[in-house]
Amino acid sequence: MPARLNPLTALAAAAATAATTTAASSWAASLTVILGGVVLAVRAGVCGRLAPAAAVILAPFWLSLLIMHGLFFPEGRTVLAEWGAARVTTEGLGFALDMGTRTAAYVVVFLLFSFTVRVPDLVAVMSARRVPPQFGYVLASTLTLAPAISGRLARIRQAQESRGLVVRGGPLPRLAAARLQMVPLVLSLIQEAGDRAQALDSRGFNGATARTSYRDVPDTAAQRAFRAVALLLAVAAVALRISGQWPDMQWPSSQWPGGVPG
Amino acid sequence: MRPTLLQARITEFSYHGEDASVLRDLAVDAVPGTLTAVLGGSGSGKSTLGRLLAGWLSGGHSGRFRGSLQLGTAAGTAAGDSAPIVFHGGPDDPRINPSLWSDRVGYVPQDAAALLSTVGSTVAEELAFGLENRGMDRRLMHDAVMHAAEAAGLAALLERDPATLSGGELRRLAVACAAITRPGVLVLDEPLGSLDKAGAASVRSLVRRLTGSGTAVIVLGQAVDELALEATQWLVLDGGTVTARGTPGELAGSPGLLQSGVVMPARTGGCFTAVRRAADPHTADHRRRTEHDHGAETATPPVLELERIAFAFPSGRRGKGPGILADLSLAVRAGQIVAVTGPNGAGKSTLLRHFNGLHRPDRGCVRIGGADIAGIPTGKVADRVGLLFQHPRDQLFERTVLREVLFGLDRRFGPEAATKALAALAAVGLADQLEIHPHELPASRQRLLALATVLAREPTLLALDEPTVGLDRHGLERLNQAIGAAALRGAAVVIVTHELAYARATAHRILELRDGTLREE
Amino acid sequence: MSQQSLILPAPGQRAVRIRRLLEVLGAVSIAATFIFLVLTQPADITNGLASGSTLVALGGFLLGAILLIIGVLPTLPTSTLVLIPVALVLNIALGQIMGSTGLPFYFDAIGTVLIAVLAGPAAGAATGALSSIVWSFINPTVLPFAAGAALIGFLSGLAARHGLFRRFYLAPVAGFVTGILAGVVSAPIAAFVFGGTSGAGTGAIVGAFRAMGDTLLAAITKQALISDPMDKAIVFTVVALLVYALPRRTTLQFAFVRRFNVLAGKKQETPGA
Repeated sequence: MPARLNPLTALAAAAATAATTTAASSWAASLTVILGGVVLAVRAGVCGRLAPAAAVILAPFWLSLLIMHGLFFPEGRTVLAEWGAARVTTEGLGFALDMGTRTAAYVVVFLLFSFTVRVPDLVAVMSARRVPPQFGYVLASTLTLAPAISGRLARIRQAQESRGLVVRGGPLPRLAAARLQMVPLVLSLIQEAGDRAQALDSRGFNGATARTSYRDVPDTAAQRAFRAVALLLAVAAVALRISGQWPDMQWPSSQWPGGVPG
Repeated sequence: MRPTLLQARITEFSYHGEDASVLRDLAVDAVPGTLTAVLGGSGSGKSTLGRLLAGWLSGGHSGRFRGSLQLGTAAGTAAGDSAPIVFHGGPDDPRINPSLWSDRVGYVPQDAAALLSTVGSTVAEELAFGLENRGMDRRLMHDAVMHAAEAAGLAALLERDPATLSGGELRRLAVACAAITRPGVLVLDEPLGSLDKAGAASVRSLVRRLTGSGTAVIVLGQAVDELALEATQWLVLDGGTVTARGTPGELAGSPGLLQSGVVMPARTGGCFTAVRRAADPHTADHRRRTEHDHGAETATPPVLELERIAFAFPSGRRGKGPGILADLSLAVRAGQIVAVTGPNGAGKSTLLRHFNGLHRPDRGCVRIGGADIAGIPTGKVADRVGLLFQHPRDQLFERTVLREVLFGLDRRFGPEAATKALAALAAVGLADQLEIHPHELPASRQRLLALATVLAREPTLLALDEPTVGLDRHGLERLNQAIGAAALRGAAVVIVTHELAYARATAHRILELRDGTLREE
Repeated sequence: MSQQSLILPAPGQRAVRIRRLLEVLGAVSIAATFIFLVLTQPADITNGLASGSTLVALGGFLLGAILLIIGVLPTLPTSTLVLIPVALVLNIALGQIMGSTGLPFYFDAIGTVLIAVLAGPAAGAATGALSSIVWSFINPTVLPFAAGAALIGFLSGLAARHGLFRRFYLAPVAGFVTGILAGVVSAPIAAFVFGGTSGAGTGAIVGAFRAMGDTLLAAITKQALISDPMDKAIVFTVVALLVYALPRRTTLQFAFVRRFNVLAGKKQETPGA
């Protein structure tokens, strides 16, 4: 992945790919997108981080799909095996495959974006596009705070163990111990946030004047054109799918099972 | 008569929901090119004064303020001083625009990190944050950032992540962030707090440069440190009002200063010498016991014994980083006070964490009272080892001061727990504040409360990590009495501190941690 | 510099109409999408994977969440804004602590509910939606649930405003009701976007309902009605424990807490241990 890609270009590419894949909804298309994503990840050198992150998300999801649709699929006609209430059907397995690959494509594409994007660049671009500066603040500040807070949590735990806190087994003592750790954590975070609010005010954040950006994020005409084309293609794919779906629309009040609030 | 850039006249200030006023009847003037030191002990109201001057407390949403603030210009009255902004303590009081006020009066709070936006991914972007918000053109902004970084000695660090800066660098960054809009007045709260020698020197030279360029600098502090000694004027703050005012020469040794909680320069010794005398192994009582034990000395093991321990933080996958501790040995006997010194980052806190098993050595062993603690959980070792950390807030989690000290105490002492807790609280001077929420105490009292939680367990080894930081003179006296009493009781004490003078005044033995091992000072 | 410019104008009527409009549009977009999905629920999901519904669900909910964020964010005072990153990290960090206790709950809304209780429904809704968006940088599958997260924040703020955190036993009840609504709103996302839920346990429950002949949406909605209310009841209880453990000086610095008397009055009444 080129190092100085404008974050908007990457975001547009990811969003367009995800939308088109969803619209296409075929496992072959999804698989192609996954493969493409993996190739790009390897070239960008983030495959080592991306693969485990994606696996953690997808493994339980696939397992769940397999249990849900592999065993129970009342709409299925072609029965491959049957144990009591559970019926393995071709349609069910096909559905699980389609959904599994579609979600995998979506996850791979967006993880590729988030693992390669430089968040400061993204924030700078957004503030130049008149996105409320508060949004960029929340995004960047969360990513800065996360490691600091996990470090502090470790310190709190150490300090409390040094005061003789022995965490015993069983969910209730553990819950009590967790509460003892949360109180100092939440307290200090809220108090620090109060100070930070005044500091941000005094440094002119939330002021009336338009913000500028210290960071210069390069953009090219080619990238602008690419973004326009990618988004147009995605819109076309979505429109095609929805318009194709529209005539089939049913109004099945009878199909909503009773007892479920709607 | 020189012009003043800021005139504050404070009749009274109190926080919402509290009857007692925090500040009353005081005046502060900021003159260009001067350094004013506001000195006061814990609870004297100096941090409140700093926030008030910074415009953080106006508008009646934090408290009631009666008084006035008036800005001036360096050119003197000819340019037209603005009229004073008057506050009456009502809900209709004017609300200061914090952004415009900071163009004239910059402020760095005690916790310098609180000033940072947390969104700047580099030092340069953090510096630029205030300019971005003011809509400055990018080219001008680059120039301003370069200029500010050079003035603060940060030019080599522009591309660093602010989270990786050392304490001194962070403090300089915060000052530079406040100074980048070139305010005429700069208010710094405890600018040298918890910095080692090199860090303090770098901040001092930055302050010198600012006053040299005509800025009026006001520092708030609770110790007569090197920075305060450079000041043009001292104000002594006690009980919310100014009790003495004058040049350092006039005020040094004056009753107003001595009665306040301000910590005097350590070289005068003062209150420290008493500690060692109280716990000196050569006092009669102690000698008798030592002689009595003499024949059996080999039989009674030291309270703490580290035998050739080595430690390195894990880095990367299954790898080990550079060694922090290497082949380090130490033995501390009952009643002995040992101080460990060394610069920030030498591994002093890491060493302390080995005493109760928070860190386990890669090689070697740790023995408490002769028994190896390997495999024993920290919470159990804590019955014999009391470890006090640098940040008291991490250790406090109960709803009241009394419950805080009582926590886990009944498991150790049974029905005696309440007596022990009250005694420990009395020892640190908190006996009259049992029902207060720990986090509503001022920072120095939080440290004393954390100390009480450790003392109440009557550990045989007391390990204190930078116990002096943030304590005023009264707090230091309590700390020293507690250390002395613990040593007299027969506990071993290990103090980690970067203040060499304090170590000299307090400990029987001073060791320096360098290159992973301890050397005699 | 003139004297007046140093002082802020008294807080008066500002042009908030456009932002109100954005908030309303956001809410309408979410509601309309939900109603559309329920009414057009494709009976035979094997037919074309219902990908039209998928796109409508994704687009409508995301658009609603983004409109809400754009409408609410600029109206929040800085003191509330700085709490949002804290809440987002809490959602993740406290989720991790809970993970270490081995209890079978997610607890990924604690930060959101905490902000809602301290700063009100609008701040809660924005925090919920932002939480999903920022979290999706690590786990993209939470992005489509932004509308449900916003609803949780909004409802918990509403509960706080009407005094449900003043009585300790009312907090879990409010959480239970919030969980029901949030579960019902999130179910179409799970059904149409992902074709199911994550995790073997929930998958088995959905499978059981499917075996009884329910449509996928109905099965997932029923499954959500089993797990979500319980989870949210516990989350609300945890937040109540947390806010009562905070010093009053800290909680009372929030205008929302003062104005609507969100917490029980006296210090001695702190419930729980």
